Amino acid sequence: MALLQIAEPGQSPKPHERRLAVGIDLGTTNSLVASVRSGVAEPLKDAQGEVILPSAVHYREADVVVGRAAKAAAIEDPLNAIVSVKRLMGRGLSDIHQLGEQLPYAFVQGDSQMPYLQTRQGAKSPVEVSAEILKSLRARGEAALGGDLVGAVITVPAYFDDAQRQATKDAARLAGINVLRLLNEPTAAAVAYGLDKQAEGVVAIYDLGGGTFDVSILRLTRGVFEVLATGGDSALGGDDLDLAIAHWVLAQAQASTDLTPSQQRELLAQACAAKEALSQVSSVTMSYGAWQGVLTREQFVELIDPLVERTLKACRRALRDAQVEIEEVDAVVMVGGSTRVPRVRESVGRLFAREPMTDIDPDQVVAIGAAIQADVLAGNRSGDDLLLLDVIPLSLGLETMGGLMEKVINRNTTIPSARAQEFTTYKDGQTAMLIHVLQGERELIKDCRSLARFELRGIPPMPAGAAKIRVTFQVDADGLLNVTAQELNSGVEASIQVKPSYGLSDDEIARMLTESMQHAGADKDARALAEEQVEADRLLEAVQVALAADGLALLSEGERRDIDEAIAKLITVRGASQSPAELSAAVKYLTEVTDEFAARRMDAGIRAALAGRNLQEIEE
Amino acid sequence: MSECHFGLFGLKPAFELDLTELASRYRELARAMHPDRFADADAREQRLAIERSANLNDAYQVLKNPAQRALYLLRLEGHELPLEATVKDPEFLMQQMLLREELEELDRLDAVAAFKQRLKQAQAQQEGQFAACWQVPEQREEAERLVRRLQFLDKLAREVRQLEERLDD
Repeated sequence: MALLQIAEPGQSPKPHERRLAVGIDLGTTNSLVASVRSGVAEPLKDAQGEVILPSAVHYREADVVVGRAAKAAAIEDPLNAIVSVKRLMGRGLSDIHQLGEQLPYAFVQGDSQMPYLQTRQGAKSPVEVSAEILKSLRARGEAALGGDLVGAVITVPAYFDDAQRQATKDAARLAGINVLRLLNEPTAAAVAYGLDKQAEGVVAIYDLGGGTFDVSILRLTRGVFEVLATGGDSALGGDDLDLAIAHWVLAQAQASTDLTPSQQRELLAQACAAKEALSQVSSVTMSYGAWQGVLTREQFVELIDPLVERTLKACRRALRDAQVEIEEVDAVVMVGGSTRVPRVRESVGRLFAREPMTDIDPDQVVAIGAAIQADVLAGNRSGDDLLLLDVIPLSLGLETMGGLMEKVINRNTTIPSARAQEFTTYKDGQTAMLIHVLQGERELIKDCRSLARFELRGIPPMPAGAAKIRVTFQVDADGLLNVTAQELNSGVEASIQVKPSYGLSDDEIARMLTESMQHAGADKDARALAEEQVEADRLLEAVQVALAADGLALLSEGERRDIDEAIAKLITVRGASQSPAELSAAVKYLTEVTDEFAARRMDAGIRAALAGRNLQEIEE
Repeated sequence: MSECHFGLFGLKPAFELDLTELASRYRELARAMHPDRFADADAREQRLAIERSANLNDAYQVLKNPAQRALYLLRLEGHELPLEATVKDPEFLMQQMLLREELEELDRLDAVAAFKQRLKQAQAQQEGQFAACWQVPEQREEAERLVRRLQFLDKLAREVRQLEERLDD
């Protein structure tokens, strides 16, 4: 329990209490699941001994297949065999039209702005498709570890915006996975690398995956992995290198660019094979229709250099944001399958004036780092020796007068983070205010991503400028944003977990959950009651442990009496009641009564962190 | 948590700080209150951990940056500075205008680097002066003037970074 962790940091559970947790790298092209077993983090294999699961989902007449077979079906059955779905996560239909030709799917509009893919099994959202991949990985994890998982750490590109993160978390929810943390891919790689090499100092992680590019600059200090800055492009990866080759082939063959989905898939598969071959040989023969030609490595380099340059630019920007000079970088670690391309390694090496490290498997390192973090979060390993401090990749802000974006939290701010900004009404008697939440670096709102709009209503009528509206942004450790707005004179409040613009609505998720669960609806109340009982037991245990440890020191007699009463009440309700609502109320009551006590305990734990230091320096 | 940022770090309010020591205290504190330490706790404790960590991160940002630290020190003593108000510092304003004009002319990254160097020196100079006078009641006005100067220079440094980004395009 966390309360114990405060009192006795470093305590690890007994062996029989080991809790099963995995790290999942949900990639554009390939996905992996890894776990720590006997102190070693390693990828888990499927029944055939394979570690890599191609991120492909094939909706067949009677069933759904995931992985190699699904990927193989993409050319024959492109509308029903979905690959690279990660590129669609958290995006709107209009974003996708921009990506356009490379996506041979039949899109339909859903309830929200999220696009659906029309398959023979009906319209599927990218979240549902991702959930199929996650389900497959979860099953693999449970089979390999021999039991139910307490949860998973799922990695996301560091440059994913709020909508893309939320979509990933929703997919996990659909797959029945408890998300312990969304972890940024380069940070996960840094953990695997840093622990393996006992590294200290400034490290740059260059992560070029199938569909996304990230660069993170970290400072490693005795087990603390502090991200100084991150940068990237969530729509740039190996797929784009393939696309560059495909365009070249079409131009050479003087062929129409109006291809059928099958033709597109076939051409892209050929381009991908050519790209991979060119890492070994100096030229490959390609053909398209009646055309046949040779693609040399020089030509390939020319095709991809503009893309590589975009990644280098992001590296320079991240270094500037981190306020780190190139000479201060102690190591550059290459992550992601696309860093196998020699030209990429060369260019990165030139920028940093040092040989990039390529000795850690670029496909596995992210999953391994995630597994280590999952082990910590599940409580199997003392969190005392490992701490990850991450940042938000893109600034968060609000629309202000004139269509401008006002930043509330700047990019590369360490998370968790909370900032408040005050606004006022501009009309006499104004009773409502629209809050438009945005993410991005540009000044005009049309150049930023719209995350959500919501309204603060019920402001008492006042003269213009008299109302005081405080908008608070809070970003949690998953990098997810929560916004609340409050009118300070009246206390009127509104809040949202940011998601509506591009995410699934709660109704959509509820429907999908129902559809995906065979026994759904049968005993919803029983499940709700069981969940409340677990929560009640958890709270009772935590409070009793806390009272035993600090009750005397931190509570007055009266306070103690109130808490004891609330405990007794909860125990009675827990034993007798069959009503989830009644139990929930008793849980809520004990929570409220112990709120102040919990806060005091946490602050005592924090003060203890500085104890042993120069005591006379502590402020009176 | 009504404690001031310095108190949170177990420090007395001061302008001159050992940044390495500050960073090390930050890491200790972050270890104690990061939400990762409470992954298994009930919702209430997770919420507390997020709030405490956010507060710690904010305090660290303020203390790390000399311009923000100076402003914070004066605020601690109950002086809210109306930064947008008229600045009675014509000499410095003139200097600022010249620097800004110079910045607009820069079109090469190496020239920007030289400019950055000079900016750093200017910042160090103002910081030194602030350190010497902020605790002296008779020099309060001077301290406030220096804080405004530091804010200007800080803003200029951000503009330099934006320029570097544009030049990199």
